[in-house]
Amino acid sequence: MLDAIRLYLHMASAGLRSQMQYRGSFALRSAIDFGVIVSDLAPVWVLARYFGHLDGWRFPELALLYGMVATSWGTVEVTLRGFENFTVYLLRGDLDRLLLRPRSLILQVAAYEFEARKLARIAQGLVVLVLACAALRLGPESLAWVGLGVLGGIACFAGVVMLGAASAFYTLGEASELQNILTYGGSAALSYPVSIYADWFRRAITWGVPLAFANYFPALAALGRTESAGWPVALPWLSPFACLACMGLGMAAFARGLRRYESTGS
Amino acid sequence: MGSLRPYLQFARLAFQRRATYRLANWTGVAVNFFFLLVHAQVLLAFFRARGDAAGWRPQDAVLYFAASESLLMVIGIFPDWRFNLGERIRTGEIVSDLLRPVTLYGRELAERYGTGLYYLLTRAPAVFAAGWLVYGLLPPLRWELALFPVSLALSLAVSAGLWFAACSSAFWRESSNAELSAIVFVNSFLGGVFVPLDFYPETLRWLADALPFRATLYTPVALLAGRLSGGALAFGLLHQVVWAAALATLGRLLETRGLRRLVTQGG
Repeated sequence: MLDAIRLYLHMASAGLRSQMQYRGSFALRSAIDFGVIVSDLAPVWVLARYFGHLDGWRFPELALLYGMVATSWGTVEVTLRGFENFTVYLLRGDLDRLLLRPRSLILQVAAYEFEARKLARIAQGLVVLVLACAALRLGPESLAWVGLGVLGGIACFAGVVMLGAASAFYTLGEASELQNILTYGGSAALSYPVSIYADWFRRAITWGVPLAFANYFPALAALGRTESAGWPVALPWLSPFACLACMGLGMAAFARGLRRYESTGS
Repeated sequence: MGSLRPYLQFARLAFQRRATYRLANWTGVAVNFFFLLVHAQVLLAFFRARGDAAGWRPQDAVLYFAASESLLMVIGIFPDWRFNLGERIRTGEIVSDLLRPVTLYGRELAERYGTGLYYLLTRAPAVFAAGWLVYGLLPPLRWELALFPVSLALSLAVSAGLWFAACSSAFWRESSNAELSAIVFVNSFLGGVFVPLDFYPETLRWLADALPFRATLYTPVALLAGRLSGGALAFGLLHQVVWAAALATLGRLLETRGLRRLVTQGG
């Protein structure tokens, strides 16, 4: 395991060095990536400023939701980048090369095309998260809930991208847009409290894909809110289990797809 | 400019390239529809506490997002990361463009219209129909709607102009990807992709009115949703005309300057 992690870091730093060859470009892109996410949060700010609150949630609380989901998704986007682009490796035959190496395939795929500039994503999510926690004056117990939520979100999004990669074994990437709904769409949807959505939509992002367990329920616990939606009070405690189940499902699906893989050779 | 025929050919080819990936287009409908649901529900929830805001009623907001998600791909708010002018400059493929009897700017414009037409015939009606099935809202019939095709055509010209300016940075730098992402992010924020500009604070609103970005999405979408009329409509259209012309001039300037700098490898 330790060896595998060392390998991951080695591959990631190789990616970093290759991207640092064009220093100006690297700096510019990192700055822009930072800006892109500012433009993600900006609409929340604009609307909260105009309307005052959303279903009782004010801007700092909305920023907490956003910071949690942005940190989780950012972490997955950076560390598991290879799973997001997995279709391309499958089509180009890069996967065969990885399979030849006597190391964990999951770690190799994860570190493939490590994009250092995306570290700005995690940074931005974290900055929003820290500022929101400070503005809300969260106590240690609340902070523990926030941390748990972020970790759960990482597991949850990891499950989703692995599931997406697994589907590539069967569909050769025609379904990759659908994965984007769950990742980019999911993180956009979860920047707002789940209670505002219509019933069927709310159920889909709670029980279909357990994204609501990644930020909404832990945030409820952290803020000490009891929502009108009528969720059982114990639901936040379910969060780690739901998120880990999602990740387990993704890993299992990926392993299953891999067993069925026969390369493209003649 | 020479003859118009090669440009029509480029427009046709751009249309056909999109038409090749049918399934990708249908899954794309699902993505647009998902974001329509999110944006509409969020704004509806904000409206819940009050009946109207900035002269908008809740149904106007839904209609706005139905229109914007339908037209995103038509107008081209997101670039094609793999096939674009910047990549052609980077790889040196640009030399084959120089042998053709077209200007680079003209080609960009022609391809934008070809791509836009494809999405206008396929993606836009599908997304709009899905939105209609959920919310049952149609654009209010009024004489201003007759100006919608004009506004849409102008928005494609502005969009092509922005992409061209971003891509041509590859003449000076090793890649134009950073500039492309910059345009995406300013375009989505100041073009009203996530929030209609009407809810912006005064200074941001002023900035959005001065810069070209509202000409891509906000003007045609607000017009379709019935939120632009009278002086605001006249300003919107004039703003589009001015920026389309200004970006075309800038584009041609960048083209001549850039080509003078261009060095490609090989014999």
